Amino acid sequence: MDMNKEIRTVYQHFMCMLLFFNAIVVEARPISYPGGWTVMQKNEMDIHSLHLHYSPSSQYSVGYRLEYWENKDWSFHGLQVNYLIKRWNNMNSQANFYFKNAVGLAINDGSVFKGHTQAGVFSGIACDWENRRFFISYENRGYYLGDIETLFIQKSRIGVTPYIGNYGDLHTWLMLQVDHNPEVANHVIITPLVRLFKGEYLAEIGVSDNGDLLLNWIIRF
Amino acid sequence: MKQIMLMLCLFVVAFAENTKDAVYVSVNGLVCDFCAVSLEKVFGKQQAVQSIKVDLNKKIITIYFKQGKSIDDSKIVKLIEDSGYNVREIKHEQ
Repeated sequence: MDMNKEIRTVYQHFMCMLLFFNAIVVEARPISYPGGWTVMQKNEMDIHSLHLHYSPSSQYSVGYRLEYWENKDWSFHGLQVNYLIKRWNNMNSQANFYFKNAVGLAINDGSVFKGHTQAGVFSGIACDWENRRFFISYENRGYYLGDIETLFIQKSRIGVTPYIGNYGDLHTWLMLQVDHNPEVANHVIITPLVRLFKGEYLAEIGVSDNGDLLLNWIIRF
Repeated sequence: MKQIMLMLCLFVVAFAENTKDAVYVSVNGLVCDFCAVSLEKVFGKQQAVQSIKVDLNKKIITIYFKQGKSIDDSKIVKLIEDSGYNVREIKHEQ
């Protein structure tokens, strides 16, 4: 039993290290082309979010974010700004480094603080590298929502596509997402998922190791 | 004879309509469909552009211009860079 616990601890430390040093987007392209709109809806574990953003340039996007943490019964409504710090364009690959911030209101819907509203912010970095075959990303985020929540979460992904299609084809990616969230029992959650991508549409479906469904979609227009 | 001349005229007009100036641009950073969509949207807003074809495999975009219209190379480079990508090479074909 102790042995199992030890193995689990080592494993958790390993996954945390992986998250930390894998330093590289979980959110595919948080900034669009100049004048472009994007809508993203994500459901991962007990966290549901909607992000609608507009990109005045390819350097930054401004948008509305709604986030709802089901188990904790709080929601966040805010103005999110994503900023592209640096992009590396190579002939066969692209890498990005983003800074993401939001300011808004957190509302606690739980039974203890029902209706309690608090000004809040979150801030984090995201980075990614991809070519036509492989994908790797890392993102972190610190929340400060006053007495409703203070939290630091991280996530990382690796992905591979079994075939390389051209523009307009249906692209399929097999991915593994690792989340580090100190608020959940295991701290580390692993989610294998499939990404389907065609033109302006992207959808992801997966199931985490604790049985939660991951269902995300993005439309760019 | 008149009919032959008419057909010849129609052929010439039809051929002229289909002959569009094209520019081939090699672009760095073209890795996914969102990249391709971005360039399609950006160039689609240009009045001189008839259509654009993105080849992710070759990392080349082909810009077809409307008859008698074009965009100079410096503007093509700027539009691509403003979209977040880099130009490697531009080739023209009449």
